[in-house]
Amino acid sequence: MSRDSFLATVRQAAAAGRAHRVEHVPVPEQTGYIGLRPGEDPAVRLAAEVDAVGGTAFRATDLTAARDLLASWLTEFEVRSALTWEHELLARLGLAQLLAERGIVEHTHRTLVEMPEEARRLSVLACDIGITSCDWAIAETGTLVVCSRPGQERIASLLPPVYFSIVEREQIVPDLIDAIGSLRTTHDPLPSNVTLITGPSKTGDIELELTTGVHGPGKWRVIVVG
Amino acid sequence: MATTPTDYLRQTHHEFLEASEGALASPSLQLILGKLGDTLGKRNRDAWEALPESDAIRQRARNIKDETLAHLAEHLETLEASVVARGGKVHWAADAAEARKIVVGLIQQRGATRVVKSKSMTSEEIHLNPALEAAGIETTETDLGEYIIQLAGHRPSHIVGPALHLSAQEVAEILSKPAGQRLPAEREILAAFARQALRQKFAEAEVGISGANFAIAETGSIVLVTNEGNGRLTCALPKCHIALMGMEKVIPKLADLPYFLKVLARGATGQKLSVYTQIITGPRRAGELDGPEEFHLVILDNGRSRILGSPLRESLFCIRCGACLNACPIYRSVGGHAYGGVYSGPIGAVLTPLYDGLAANHHLPHASSLCGACQAACPVKIQIPQMLVQLREELHHEPGQQSRWESLAYRLWAQSLRRPWLYRLGTWLAARTLGRWKRKSPWLTRLPGKLAGWTAKRDFPAPAAERFRDWWAQEGREEGHDEARSEGQHES
Repeated sequence: MSRDSFLATVRQAAAAGRAHRVEHVPVPEQTGYIGLRPGEDPAVRLAAEVDAVGGTAFRATDLTAARDLLASWLTEFEVRSALTWEHELLARLGLAQLLAERGIVEHTHRTLVEMPEEARRLSVLACDIGITSCDWAIAETGTLVVCSRPGQERIASLLPPVYFSIVEREQIVPDLIDAIGSLRTTHDPLPSNVTLITGPSKTGDIELELTTGVHGPGKWRVIVVG
Repeated sequence: MATTPTDYLRQTHHEFLEASEGALASPSLQLILGKLGDTLGKRNRDAWEALPESDAIRQRARNIKDETLAHLAEHLETLEASVVARGGKVHWAADAAEARKIVVGLIQQRGATRVVKSKSMTSEEIHLNPALEAAGIETTETDLGEYIIQLAGHRPSHIVGPALHLSAQEVAEILSKPAGQRLPAEREILAAFARQALRQKFAEAEVGISGANFAIAETGSIVLVTNEGNGRLTCALPKCHIALMGMEKVIPKLADLPYFLKVLARGATGQKLSVYTQIITGPRRAGELDGPEEFHLVILDNGRSRILGSPLRESLFCIRCGACLNACPIYRSVGGHAYGGVYSGPIGAVLTPLYDGLAANHHLPHASSLCGACQAACPVKIQIPQMLVQLREELHHEPGQQSRWESLAYRLWAQSLRRPWLYRLGTWLAARTLGRWKRKSPWLTRLPGKLAGWTAKRDFPAPAAERFRDWWAQEGREEGHDEARSEGQHES
């Protein structure tokens, strides 16, 4: 069927269906917005919600503290290779240097574009950890919003079994509605991919019991700076 | 026992009962269904309780759906223009056969032979996998539950938990085959095996196929909600992404999305948000290293326009969360397979007759006690019981669905209501015959002939030995007088 006859059928059906519309109950404009409790610290709430969805959140007072924390994790997980974003916050943190000092191979946009496609594919699939920041973090749900762009690859938060995220207080918004609003006003068109990450990869497909890490990272740690 | 196609009463209960009896007799299935109410069902209920103004938020989502459907063609046109502007292609499929042809054609055009799929109920609806396999395309379901049932050759038994009907032991047996070794019935080990086996499939696949939870007309985006991450891999690694959506999935604006996300995750699993929500807008942009180079959106009608113009239009509000299944006492007794369709549970009892034909699924509108738990659990407050009643009525008008026996019974009923003397005679006779039972037992345990269907499963209350009109004439009126007198006394 052609596009036009498809749409003509729908147009006719929609008109006929208007006789069967359901009763509209008006809802106030603010309905659906939850956000923070009065006087609540967004960073505290974000950390609590990340823990609640199965991640592990750590607070760091400043970038130095964040760097030390990250360094201890690299040792803990015996990291040999990392898939990372090129991001202003990670640059300030000195991530590249931190990895280089420990002899950890860093795969990032800059290095990946140099590789032939097959080698690139094998390298990213073999990485031990992924490290990213985010575009926004949602305090009420414990969510990170990550937008794709060159240097902010989608696979960094997806392929490795372990995923670390670094978030600054300035990136935190109270509610999902705030994050979607910011996305709308800052991006036209929208990025090719926007992903809301709320927890480690989960499934309940075997006997309704929670199992983590079935496809995406099974371990998710978040550092909230500031 | 011989049955005739017109024998409505017997046939109605026959098919569903047969499938249900099998389900009720399966200890492993009963064990898992018994857990459903305390796990997913409880999480759904707790989530609504914990959500401030949950009723108003659901109403908001409902209003948006209703408004969108009233102008669906216009929203679809906007969606098309936005998808094209972002470098995607839009295909229109009037029915399942056309949708299959489009998807197979797109894959063959690329010369591709390996496909990975993210869970899509719409692809189940159009029976896509057999068509892909017939075309020599290796198709791998990557949602853990879908992967398991694909290997086992089963149909999904729950909208969000397709392998819900299987025990860990059964899953271990199914996965042991591709593993080439005996896997233990331990969830972590089984999931780890699936992760490894499916990574290989993702790495090799040339095309990824997904459904769409929503499509945003304004931005030309599709929205995919998953917990495992297979949906992300499907849209990040293969060079081509084909998304398949029922046409009712469109919402007008990005600003509408948060309300649906808030109610969808709560309805599905009781989460505030599912682990991964992707908003996908076209293929990868210049300079990006991952994501598909080609993006296709297949928009499916397949009976939806027929429903859109009908009194059952509201069934198109469904966002496929599965909350009504978890809430339903029938589903929690017999499981998804008893319903015989792709969609099961209360919403399946509405959708399957609508999509696949009422006559062929005449048992489904009756597979409900009309208790209303489904409507209470629904994130968009679909009036499922009302629709089931409507379908029962429509069923009665279907040619070949009327039973001579039932028609006779109703004709007698109508005649007796039209003639008060006949009605009185009937009740008088009943009280003096059936009413005698009441003295022995308040329940009739066996009824004769056609009525045996009722007492095969439960007792029937015995009619009172005395008619109401007789009681009223003798005692009721007296008591009424007494009350009226005593009230009068209070006043004075």
